[in-house]
Amino acid sequence: MSLSYGPGARYGSGWLLLGLGFGLLLWFIAAWWDMSEPASGAQKLLIGLGFLLVVWGIARVAQQFVNITNPVIGFTPAALTLLAVVVAAEALLRAYQVPTGLIPTPSRVLSTLLEVRDVLLRDAYQTVVLEAMVGYLVGCSLGLLTALLVSRYVFLERGLLPYATVFSSIPIVALAPVLVKMIGIDWPSKAVIVAITVFFPMVVNAFRGLTEVNPLSLDLMRSYAASEVQQYRWLRLPNALPFIFNALKLGTTLAMIGAIVGEFFGANGQGLGFRIQIEAGRFGFDIVWSAIIVASIIGIAWYGLVAWLERKFTGWHVSFR
Amino acid sequence: MVFQNGTVALKDANLEIAPGEFISLIGPSGCGKTTLLRLLADLIKPSAGTIRIGGKTPEEARKSRAYGYVFQAPTLMEWRTVLSNVMLPLEVMNFPPPERKARAEQMLTLVGLEKFARHYPWQLSGGMQQRVSIARALAFDPQLLFMDEPFGALDEITRENLNLELLRLWRETGKTVIFVTHSIPEAVFLSTRIVVMTPRPGKIETVIPLDLPQPRTFETRETARFFELATEVREALRKGHGYEVTE
Amino acid sequence: MRLSPNLVPMLVVALVVVALYWPIMYLANIPAAQRALDTGAALPCKTAFECATQLRSPVLPSPQQLWNGFANLMFPLNSPNAIPINAAVTAFETLVGLLLATLVGFFFAIGMVASRAFERALLPWIVASQTVPIIAIAPMLVVLLGQYGVQGWLPKAIIAAYIAFFPITIGVAKGLQSPDPLALDLMKTYNANNWQTYLKLRFPASVPYLFTAFKVAMTAALIGAIVAEISTISFQGIGKMLAENSRASDVVAMWVIMLSSAVLGILLVALVNWLERLLTPWRRSSQVVAVPTKETRLATRGEVRS
Repeated sequence: MSLSYGPGARYGSGWLLLGLGFGLLLWFIAAWWDMSEPASGAQKLLIGLGFLLVVWGIARVAQQFVNITNPVIGFTPAALTLLAVVVAAEALLRAYQVPTGLIPTPSRVLSTLLEVRDVLLRDAYQTVVLEAMVGYLVGCSLGLLTALLVSRYVFLERGLLPYATVFSSIPIVALAPVLVKMIGIDWPSKAVIVAITVFFPMVVNAFRGLTEVNPLSLDLMRSYAASEVQQYRWLRLPNALPFIFNALKLGTTLAMIGAIVGEFFGANGQGLGFRIQIEAGRFGFDIVWSAIIVASIIGIAWYGLVAWLERKFTGWHVSFR
Repeated sequence: MVFQNGTVALKDANLEIAPGEFISLIGPSGCGKTTLLRLLADLIKPSAGTIRIGGKTPEEARKSRAYGYVFQAPTLMEWRTVLSNVMLPLEVMNFPPPERKARAEQMLTLVGLEKFARHYPWQLSGGMQQRVSIARALAFDPQLLFMDEPFGALDEITRENLNLELLRLWRETGKTVIFVTHSIPEAVFLSTRIVVMTPRPGKIETVIPLDLPQPRTFETRETARFFELATEVREALRKGHGYEVTE
Repeated sequence: MRLSPNLVPMLVVALVVVALYWPIMYLANIPAAQRALDTGAALPCKTAFECATQLRSPVLPSPQQLWNGFANLMFPLNSPNAIPINAAVTAFETLVGLLLATLVGFFFAIGMVASRAFERALLPWIVASQTVPIIAIAPMLVVLLGQYGVQGWLPKAIIAAYIAFFPITIGVAKGLQSPDPLALDLMKTYNANNWQTYLKLRFPASVPYLFTAFKVAMTAALIGAIVAEISTISFQGIGKMLAENSRASDVVAMWVIMLSSAVLGILLVALVNWLERLLTPWRRSSQVVAVPTKETRLATRGEVRS
């Protein structure tokens, strides 16, 4: 697509659009800060216009960032998108005067978050550290161990693996209430739920990694008269690392979900899932959103940590080139 | 031709090709022969110089469907049957539907695979898949055929058979063929003229006309003249440092 | 019909598990049974051992209790309190959610493949939506939608879609980008326009990836549907049955429902598998996971030379 004016002018116009759009939205928010009647139709249209300008601006500006390799700078289009959605949401909620008991505005959520951060941190400790992480570590280690055994003994492969693939299609939600009843409403029951949930993907993935080895590499090992253990150490385990990390990344999200869903079925007064359920029932949605934000940040950070480790240990893999 | 990263792929390539010829581009890796072919096909644009195909630029030629391209790999679509694969260009180019099947079947008969029309690519051997690829390239009746080491992945015996097949096709259809290869006997057997290319920088070392009689047969490979010509090609490659190992 | 060599080991494992179930069940239930006896409750049994299989809230139900529970909850087949209808409702919500997720997933995937700017602006958030425990939003979303008059099965389907769209997006994006560069060159030599390239090359190439994603998405959608049902006053569905029986502390019923939903999950994934076989007849049989024989396994372990 050829342009009659150069790319510089295009990018400049993108930033201009962004400025205009955001300016419009922010002006509206400031103007409506203390109002209590809904805005007129024309004003709502103005918000829509502001949002469109912002989106158009992002589309133009994002082109500029397409080839940037620096991860921080390259994140700008995504950051702008988030900002756009948050600001637009704030403006729209105020324009329609949606009761804050129903959908709290982003600004209100943030202020609530700061208010109740102690409670949320304690909840987070319960949910994330005790339930999710303990279950995650136990489930992943057991999964890896099982995969090692199954890869070594053909009998186990034939007898256990088909069950594993079947069990992985069972919804954890079905397991949760039963386990909570069995083990009690305190955190160990959720840890068990998490352990079971992350166990199966780990077994399936690690097993693939341990056995899908280039047959020529195995021949090479044989030519070195390598023992069974040496084969595992020098060939199978390194080969399995990308697969194992796949399961580890998947496991972080499964662990958070498992812990929170588990709490829906019984918790002893603490935990993010418990908090969300209770407050949702009381229409205290600002706290619900605050809890969700806390859970999200932790989830993203945990995933990022595992991804960083993955890059460190398996930077050689095809997917990183 | 200079690539974006500064590598000089091809320098001072001057060549004229008459219709109905069978031209081979031969040389070691890095001599620019594939680059030259891709320039002709408008898959890349030259950094300098002009190319004319029947008076048109490569882009115009591509848009007027003047050539068929056969790649090193068969590049058949695994979700289509053999017949359906041959019909692909006819669909894209909006040939009338009743004509498509007829043409495709005709092409498959030409390459001797009419019995496999309803098979899937994975059921065919490598050589057969490449023949389907050739049938597909001929389906819309282009004047030119560009072939980039089409038999490179096959064993020598299959290759020699397919060389004979290709010459028969060339005779029967009268197309102009530009054929990239790194096999000296293949180039000598197939072509009317050989363009010897050498690397660093990629250039045309020399053009050798081949006076071997047509139609060529298995016995042609065993004649003294064949050997002389092959030697001539080899010497030209040596002269252009084609045999020195650096990479 | 050739017997799978998996059969014997699988049976052995199954038998071992079944054989172990009884001792474990007794071990688990006896303490609870003892406590029940100690409280002097009127029970139809005398010793802790006997009572282990008669408890109203056992830790592990006995097979007899499970059997009775199934009989209670499965029949009559068309009762709104029985499993079949509720399972059907949940399955419906799941499938509708999957359909919505596919539409959304295709939209995002095509957007990301067609425009790198789109990818840059949105991909981090699409990934983040995966790491965010979306399931946390379910209770709130259902209440919200209820306030605006969206009732019944639709909010559950929406939540199911919300959870399922991510694997589909990533799978389809990967599939759309999977064709060989040579195949893309081929389309270029035909002077094919963008739409033709998508239609004839990229979409068909992405079908295998779509089905792989479907299996993951199906399980996710099912979880979403059930959680959504639990989060509100639902009148039908597996989740509603779970919530009911959880409140009533009917442990045996909960076990029965759990097993039934497990079966539902397995059936839905089997449905995807069947669909895949139906729609991709070109998949060569060698791509089916080969059943390991002793020779091939030892060969890959480098011990047997052919």
